Amino acid sequence: MGYVIVGNSAAAVGCITGIRKVDKETPITVISYEDFCYSKPMIGDILDGAPREHLTYRDKSFFEKNRVQQILGHRAISINPESKVVVLDSNEIVPYSKLLIATGARPFIPPIQGVEKEGVFTFTELSEAERFNSYLTEKGAQEVVVVGSGFIGLEVAYFLAKRGLKVSVVELLERSLARAVDERTSRIVESLLREVGVKFLFNESVSEILGEEKVSSVKLKSGKILKADGVVIAVGVRPNVELAQTAKVKVNKGIEVSTKMETSVNDIYAAGDCIECIDIVDNTKKSIPLFPLAFEQGFIAGLNMAGRGVDYLGGLVLNSLKFLPVPVLNAGLASPPDSSYEVLVNDKFEERGFYRKVVLKEGRLVGFVAVGEIDRVGILTNLIRQKIDVSSIKERLVELDFGLVDLPKWWREEKLKEDRTAYKDWRAVK
Amino acid sequence: MKVYPIEENCISCRYCEVACTMVHSASKDPVKAYKLEGLLPRATVEVKGAVSLSLMCRHCKHPFCFDSCISGAIQVGEDGKVYLDEERCVGCWNCVLVCPFGAAHPFISDNEKKRHSFKCDLCGDRGFPACVEACPNRALVYDFER
Repeated sequence: MGYVIVGNSAAAVGCITGIRKVDKETPITVISYEDFCYSKPMIGDILDGAPREHLTYRDKSFFEKNRVQQILGHRAISINPESKVVVLDSNEIVPYSKLLIATGARPFIPPIQGVEKEGVFTFTELSEAERFNSYLTEKGAQEVVVVGSGFIGLEVAYFLAKRGLKVSVVELLERSLARAVDERTSRIVESLLREVGVKFLFNESVSEILGEEKVSSVKLKSGKILKADGVVIAVGVRPNVELAQTAKVKVNKGIEVSTKMETSVNDIYAAGDCIECIDIVDNTKKSIPLFPLAFEQGFIAGLNMAGRGVDYLGGLVLNSLKFLPVPVLNAGLASPPDSSYEVLVNDKFEERGFYRKVVLKEGRLVGFVAVGEIDRVGILTNLIRQKIDVSSIKERLVELDFGLVDLPKWWREEKLKEDRTAYKDWRAVK
Repeated sequence: MKVYPIEENCISCRYCEVACTMVHSASKDPVKAYKLEGLLPRATVEVKGAVSLSLMCRHCKHPFCFDSCISGAIQVGEDGKVYLDEERCVGCWNCVLVCPFGAAHPFISDNEKKRHSFKCDLCGDRGFPACVEACPNRALVYDFER
């Protein structure tokens, strides 16, 4: 008996790291249908010519050093919480004393007519990304339609356009990254993508994918027809909760977990894109499928599975548009939902190449966007996390030389002198 | 094991920044390091009125940069130090986004060929942090224990 982890990405690695902080001995087993531990956010690099080894997130030595047995190439299909076993598609039965469900999320595929045709792909998994890439090469593809303008869709569009393909991005809303960033940032990002040749079609959607067996074009709601040798659907992801449901684990917008990352069923924990997570900015539970959160949740789950009681502090939106030459970062709320928020802006993008915006509520920072100049913005992220009163320094928040000297002296005493940098030390201040 | 800034002693002379850039350069020359190699200091001197301090990686007990690193470039050693492998780093900027101290910095070369984060490595094999040696006013203290 020992620890069992279903999944082999950020949350799983976080969990292994957490368990081994406390328990060096008890065996750990990882179950994954994929063939190695790679970095999901890096799969776009495949389109840029990167070999798959480049995507390695943790190599063999990590699993050996941490005494982890990997069962790869097999899916976990059910959990029996009474006999405490996981059943694989090979009929193998893996017993657990503590189990982590880290099954991630999968792409949402809207019900578009013809979506099953050859040449239509999603882009969240390496094997599919590789199939898409070879399909483009084999077919000598010249035109690609990307459905959705979130982080994945834009990255695919950017890399393909740089390769010389004609890329059109079809977006239901009136701008790109609409749910993540503010309008100004959307427009800056769009202009950077247009520079490499990406075309945008806003307020538009795909009504049908045309072609016999293979996609040849897409028909839009407006009636317009775009030639397409390949289509990528990137309109968001949904938590994978089916395995959890076989154990009657409670599921809402994702798998429900306590602050110890434990599910409604004893000894079953969950972390990563498959869970619903508290957003510390608005104190609501939602799916926030992001790499840094997944790792941290897995880590906290691992500590708790090994018996060290640690409460998860909650998550917040953290985005980086990592493929552009101009860095674009945002955390928390980028666009205030109503007039109870205060917004400060420092927009020098045209003259000096940077844009910074902060969003405040009741004297606390709840979000920011930084474009171009991003050095040290993590200080802002922490102000959101710790809910520190910034009303007396709010004008400074959008300045490039904003730093720790602007923060209250007690904060510097605590963090720099007393070195209080353990996990619990990053709680919101009272 | 890290460098502790003492803000009461700091006179914002920036010797720490110069020493840092120099020891991390190929030329070991402060001017060439900055002008030709495009290097930036891993210690940041902040000044506001009479208050100033030099800030570098705190090697946090819980490093958010490690959680957020998508390439595996950031690792925590058995010694508790936080290591950043610049060769392995892909420049996703997650560490820049989450470091509460602003101690992980972005680097993009002029031709955009190289992009990676960088931060204080306590001078690696050198054995003793150059910034602490360079500080004329004991505003930086290297503590082996803590």
